[in-house]
Amino acid sequence: MLNLFHNFNVRTFIRAAAWGPVILFFVEHGFSIGSIQGRSMQPTFNPDSNKLRRDVVLLNRWIAVTHEYARGDVVTLYAPDDPDRMITKRIIALEGDTVFTTLPHPDKFVKIPKGHCWFEGDDIFHSKDSNEYGPVPLALINAKVSYILLPFSRFGKIERVESSRVSVFKDD
Amino acid sequence: MPFIIPFGRSFFKKIEWAIKFACFVHLIGEHVTEVTMCIGPSMLPTFNMIGDIVVLEHFSPKLKRLEIGDVVVCISPTNPWRAVCKRILGMPGDRICIDPTVINRKYIIVPRGHVWLQGDNMSNSTDSRSYGPVPYALIRGRVFARIWPQTCWIKNGMIPLQDE
Repeated sequence: MLNLFHNFNVRTFIRAAAWGPVILFFVEHGFSIGSIQGRSMQPTFNPDSNKLRRDVVLLNRWIAVTHEYARGDVVTLYAPDDPDRMITKRIIALEGDTVFTTLPHPDKFVKIPKGHCWFEGDDIFHSKDSNEYGPVPLALINAKVSYILLPFSRFGKIERVESSRVSVFKDD
Repeated sequence: MPFIIPFGRSFFKKIEWAIKFACFVHLIGEHVTEVTMCIGPSMLPTFNMIGDIVVLEHFSPKLKRLEIGDVVVCISPTNPWRAVCKRILGMPGDRICIDPTVINRKYIIVPRGHVWLQGDNMSNSTDSRSYGPVPYALIRGRVFARIWPQTCWIKNGMIPLQDE
């Protein structure tokens, strides 16, 4: 068995494979790359100039460890009604805020409960978001979308856009 | 640590291997099996109040093999930092009575992709009755064994009623 370790190929293989967990840790909790499908975030991602090509984005997954979210961030989260599907939306309101909802929601105003957030797509008419699900737990958020990588013509940081339909809760 | 010796004896090599080993252990804890402690009165007949050391596995939630009666650890919907230990009492589509002791009983149908969680100690438990159905994606793992005190398997305690 010890003889095996003196074999050059075996040593190289073990040395390379030992980096696997480190790389996986970085991909799961550091940064990773994802592609965005669908038109629910349309002015920001997948505009018509893309011609059905998908945007490739850089995901900051450390945010799911620290839980530091701000209103206006674009995040990816597990769909509340389907644990296998990831959706990309913008955070509109955090806990304590009051939101003025749009149509599918039965109430006119919603106060966000503790530990929850309100998220909406940028293209509000083609988005299945909190107006349908209601407030969702913050723990469903998986990553923050920080940069557009491809297509290269739109490369750049994603701006934080705050909504005007929110009354922000101020903690004294 | 004999496995470090063939690969170098310097201090930095040892640190490098420590990082790799830590990442490996973290990976096992995240995707295979994990040992945690659950404290609190909400699971009282099953787990005691001052803390039980339990083992959970992460396969059942990923393979969608959870059933009614399984004890699970899930992230609290009201606080993303906290994990809670509860029993699944309803799967999507089930019709559930929120509180059978009151006169005007309220019923809820568990929505798609959600589960209904309740503690075993129903009189002292903050669970789905206060925060509603919990999304399936928040479930971290299924508790299958207790290490301390009294090592034993945690079984699914569901006894189906026979239809007449």
